[in-house]
Amino acid sequence: MNAPAAFRRQLLGAIPRLRRYARALTLDEAAADDLSQQALERALLHWRQFDPEREMGVWLLSIAHNAHLDTVRRNARITVTDPEELLRVQDERDADPGTDVGLRMDLMAALTRLSAEQREPLLLVCVEQLSYSEVAEVLRIPIGTVMSRVCRGRAALRRYLEGGAQQRPESGSPLKRVV
Amino acid sequence: MTSGMTGDMTMGTERPDDELLSAFVDGELDDAERERVDAWLREHPEDQRRVQTWAADRAALESLFGGTLQEDAPEALRAAVWRGAPGAGPPRWAMAAAAVGLLVAGALFGGAGVWQWQDQRLLAQETRLRTELAAGTAQGWVERAALAHSIYVAEPRHAVEVKAQEEHLSRWLTRRIDIPVKLFDLQPFGFELVGGRLLPDGPGKSAQLMYQDAQQRRVTVYLRKPELGTDAAFRFEKQGALGMFYWIEEGAGYALVGELPKATLLTLAQAIYLQHPKVLPAAPASPSTPAAPASRGRHPGPRLPSPFPRRLWAQKAGRLQLHTPRVLPIMRSASPMKRCWRCCTSSSPA
Repeated sequence: MNAPAAFRRQLLGAIPRLRRYARALTLDEAAADDLSQQALERALLHWRQFDPEREMGVWLLSIAHNAHLDTVRRNARITVTDPEELLRVQDERDADPGTDVGLRMDLMAALTRLSAEQREPLLLVCVEQLSYSEVAEVLRIPIGTVMSRVCRGRAALRRYLEGGAQQRPESGSPLKRVV
Repeated sequence: MTSGMTGDMTMGTERPDDELLSAFVDGELDDAERERVDAWLREHPEDQRRVQTWAADRAALESLFGGTLQEDAPEALRAAVWRGAPGAGPPRWAMAAAAVGLLVAGALFGGAGVWQWQDQRLLAQETRLRTELAAGTAQGWVERAALAHSIYVAEPRHAVEVKAQEEHLSRWLTRRIDIPVKLFDLQPFGFELVGGRLLPDGPGKSAQLMYQDAQQRRVTVYLRKPELGTDAAFRFEKQGALGMFYWIEEGAGYALVGELPKATLLTLAQAIYLQHPKVLPAAPASPSTPAAPASRGRHPGPRLPSPFPRRLWAQKAGRLQLHTPRVLPIMRSASPMKRCWRCCTSSSPA
């Protein structure tokens, strides 16, 4: 049986959050929408696995996470982020003159340097405002691991923001290589 | 979260580790842990600065991507959601509602005709949606009107909270939304009042009246107190198959929403406009007995009250090409109305 309309409506409602997370994960608009689409398709395929008592957003984020992992694995050797491209995307997105452009650019740059395993928990907590237990659910890791990864990710982000331009990501495989 | 706790015996004196400080920033600590960290930070400004910086980073990250939430979902993504939906193609209501750009609401909407999944859990989800509506996250009252329409028009069982025949509907809604709610009579156009419901709407409340015709087509009238500065112009918007007339009259915001031809919607909007309580102070409480039906002429037709501010109406509706002849055939075919507002009123005194 096809996914019921009520389920689809919920999915539709969750798109903005899904896109936001995809944007934060990929730091690229087109890639983010590709990822969002993948996640939506997977969600539709596996709609029976969704427990309506749970929050659609969290479920969808976990699907996005998995889809992202798959994509990263597939592109492991060729995923490259051009800093110029990053800045261009950032400029395009920066429609709001009230925000601190410098900080935003720095943040984006710092984010790209975090390892995937630090970045994801940090984004889920800070951007998606998930609780540690929800993050544990999305990423399927123990809650204690969430706690330590958030902490390390946060510390690393701060180091990069404070100008540690020469520093490398401290652990794990980098999600994206900056050329 | 206790993994960061060390040395209970020396609570308050031993330095909380970084993980505990980080969890503190994220609001993940229980009361005892939080107090301990609080106490430590009061005494250690350097750690306090660190924690503050982390909190600022957290906020910066959130705002960095926050803008995405305000963006309309790309058509491709919305289409992906409805791909393979039961019935031929995406449900028209759903497409229409989606086009309105109701994104932040995290909403359940659309899906007339394919509503198949009715149970208690669905109701629970709708309750959640209503909470989101109440939080005012849906943008703009007109969008909320469309959203509310799409949700409830598709509901065969719970379409309305209060049935039309219940006398207190009007009084109840009037009291709750703080503007006079009249149960508009759309019977001359073949639309019977099904009932109404109260909806959360940003900081306030709004009312929704639902009408249905013999072909089970439903239109809703959404009523609310408009925000200050809301555009008062009479407007039409089409979002996919969904048409909306909305306007503001004497402190009441109206939106008529339905998946009907524009001309039919216009006819209904006119009728509602003309039945506005303040426009027709002498109109009786029961809309089914209009004071002076403009029934002169050949057809026994819609009982439009007269006199009414025709000039005002024409002025407001001018943009809508009210007097274009093509309105008429559509009206004839789309509703059981026997004569039109224009020809029947042209003989009455302005």
